Amino acid sequence: MVFNSLTFVVFFALVLGIHSLPLPWTTRKFNLLIASYIFYSAWNPPFVMLLWISTVVDWYAAQGLVKARREAARHAWMLLSVVANLGMLAYFKYGQFFVDNFSALMASLGVAWQPAHYDIVLPVGISFYTFATLSYTLDVYLRRALPARNFLDYALFVTFFPHLVAGPIMRPTELVPQFEQPRRATGDQIRFGLALMTIGLFNKIVLADSFLSRAAERIYDSDKVPGTVDAWIGTLAFSGQIFCDFAGYSTTAIGAALCLGFAMPDNFRFPYAAVGFSDFWRRWHITLSSWLRDYLYIPLGGNRHGPFRTYAALLMTMLLGGLWHGANWTFVAWGGLHGLYLAVERVLRSRFSNYRPGPLMFVALGLLTYLLINLTWVFFRAKTFGKAWSVLSGMVGLNVGAKPILETYYLVVVSVIVAGIVIAHWLMRGRTLESVIARTPAAAVCVMWSLLAFAIVIAQGAGNAFIYFQF
Amino acid sequence: MRSSISSSDVAADATFVHDADAHERAIHARETASDRPGVAQPVPLRPVPKQPWARIFVGMLVLFALLLGGWEWYWRDFGATPGYRNSFGLWAIQRRRIDAGEGKATVIIGASRVYFDIQLDLWEKLDGERPIQLAFEGTSPLRFAEDLADDPNFTGRLLIGIAPEVFFSGYGYRGGTLKYFRDESPSQRVGQWLSMHLVEPFFAFYEPDYALATVVQRQPWPDRPGKPTRLDVRKLSVTDADRNTHMWGKVENDPDYRALMRKVWSQDFAPSPDDPKPGESDKKRDEQIDRMVKAVAKLRARGVKVLFVRPPSAGPYLEHDNQLFPRATSWDVLLAKSGAPGIHFEDYPEMQNYDLPEWSHLSYADAKRFTTALHAIVVRDFWQPESNATSPP
Repeated sequence: MVFNSLTFVVFFALVLGIHSLPLPWTTRKFNLLIASYIFYSAWNPPFVMLLWISTVVDWYAAQGLVKARREAARHAWMLLSVVANLGMLAYFKYGQFFVDNFSALMASLGVAWQPAHYDIVLPVGISFYTFATLSYTLDVYLRRALPARNFLDYALFVTFFPHLVAGPIMRPTELVPQFEQPRRATGDQIRFGLALMTIGLFNKIVLADSFLSRAAERIYDSDKVPGTVDAWIGTLAFSGQIFCDFAGYSTTAIGAALCLGFAMPDNFRFPYAAVGFSDFWRRWHITLSSWLRDYLYIPLGGNRHGPFRTYAALLMTMLLGGLWHGANWTFVAWGGLHGLYLAVERVLRSRFSNYRPGPLMFVALGLLTYLLINLTWVFFRAKTFGKAWSVLSGMVGLNVGAKPILETYYLVVVSVIVAGIVIAHWLMRGRTLESVIARTPAAAVCVMWSLLAFAIVIAQGAGNAFIYFQF
Repeated sequence: MRSSISSSDVAADATFVHDADAHERAIHARETASDRPGVAQPVPLRPVPKQPWARIFVGMLVLFALLLGGWEWYWRDFGATPGYRNSFGLWAIQRRRIDAGEGKATVIIGASRVYFDIQLDLWEKLDGERPIQLAFEGTSPLRFAEDLADDPNFTGRLLIGIAPEVFFSGYGYRGGTLKYFRDESPSQRVGQWLSMHLVEPFFAFYEPDYALATVVQRQPWPDRPGKPTRLDVRKLSVTDADRNTHMWGKVENDPDYRALMRKVWSQDFAPSPDDPKPGESDKKRDEQIDRMVKAVAKLRARGVKVLFVRPPSAGPYLEHDNQLFPRATSWDVLLAKSGAPGIHFEDYPEMQNYDLPEWSHLSYADAKRFTTALHAIVVRDFWQPESNATSPP
């Protein structure tokens, strides 16, 4: 079920009520596990079996890793986990993509081969929970962590519903220790958790779905050629939408976990105030970028084997990170562009290592970063390269004579909201939400909270799925 | 769980995304995985800001209740009353009835005219059986007919409403209906039930027309040169739990609102550069007819009685209908090719002189008159017990 649904409101109220009962800790954890399976089955019940497969395979793989005496055996257990998890991901997410591309390759060689269309349904959140369970066996394999002491704690780590389908991508060492000791949320934790959920849902329902998504749809999902203003407004709208959608999900997830007494890490840190792309990736989808760094970039050699290998590892990491987002070459292009940005930034940082920008230049570099990030969003949002080129051409003023697509309402609303988001990120770039709330008068917090809650209800969200569910 | 750290990996990490200045990192009050490369991540910190949260929470609830109460009062004052949303979920509930033992029922598909104009309560009183209403506004019934043709559980009677502008153009305002029905998740079904029992019968503001973004969008924004603002269709109807629907009283009784609705329709009456070219329009029309003919043949082969109905339109809208798709090249062809009978309102004296406040749909009172007349014609000429369908008089 999605967070922005009436079903979730009732589900969460029930879970919170049952979790607050004076029951033994094991029983309460078992309740959370059952609730998490219900949460996942509410989309498509049979797919819960994939979750079980992933859970059981990694549990035994980690046990095998610890018991293995020979290095070859350790490799084998690790490979079992990697193949099982990535195999599921490859089949469900990339199966049709591989077949289609193979068919296109054959056609280019003059071999006519028309494969059947398989209509494979993508299980919600499979990219997220396979990465979470993989980190468990990989941490054990890399001797960073010991396996969980009991299966219930481990299964709950994999399945815990706040992070299950769209992250934050949790590491076992972040969550399993929290399940080992009895925990009960304090009244203030529950209330602050609810406040975080309100902020998250406001981002998703009001900003992303109600005000920003339609402008992006009208530019990217139509066959009309956009002029400069339309192309930019459509792309800016998507930059705001994807942030509010995904950061909104993460904030809601963090709030839901806090209400139950558990802490989850930040997944976003005001990314549109980033200065440079390494800074951007420290602020955007932090749990994915750090996962890719720890389990892909560093194992690929990181910066330990000279500049060529470093750039190759960087590009490979970002290309695969792009592909993780979806089975389409446009996502690979998006990742490749980010890899290129990071590589160029690395060159510039080494070339101008003593350079320290003044305040104005610092902001200018930040705005340049945001502008270049927007160019990457074009590939992320466009379904085809043709559409991406059409929008990019519009953005640089090449679509001369294009007719206006968006009415005044969209131009004003998108400009105001996106400017508000960027300004807010700059004001918050060195702070945490908690530190700002702590310094705000209680009456203002109260009024703001009620206004956000009111806006959520009157926005009447249609229960749209979060964008990252498809990844 | 105990964790350990691989120091070489920490050093290696500096390249990926973590070679920014240390002072920049220090300003963050809370570290994340991005600050700790190559290690097993510790339990995260999630402090609660120091505030009187209990008082804030109570104050928030009171203010929220006041704001929501004011919003509800505003829309009730506007004339809105609580009602059921004409959602995909509501449609799916009715569609499932066919596969749950009601396959012999009378089913209505079509666009908004048969949806508003046929009153299920009255039909039930006249017929002894309540039809299943599957029409959807602004949506061609073609895909619904094809869906029913493919469903062996359906063996009843099918009444297909034809609104020329919608059917012959293949327009699908609610094009996602069947996909939703087939893919509807348990969560969505539960959500629909909860909404119908906890929200919709009690709150007048819970209506797509009064959603925040819609309200903001409908403010008088200045026109962008070359892109004038187009008026959207406003709320026109009131819907019951089983999709029995009639015209909303405000359309009938509020002259300004009625004038607005006429203005909305009038936007489409003048030629537009976006209109399909005559050849394209004819091709589309023929495609729709051919597909419907196939669906009807499949349905009739299974014993389903099919009847087309062309409900009334009036004034400029009728002129528009006739100009866009003249009867001789659309309706008459559909009937001739499909071999199925049809009722065109122009052919029956008892279907004249209706009140259509905004030219396209009947007022509530005349929807009852129309339902009575339609049922009488259907029983008299087409769907007599134990008889096969016949041609119209």
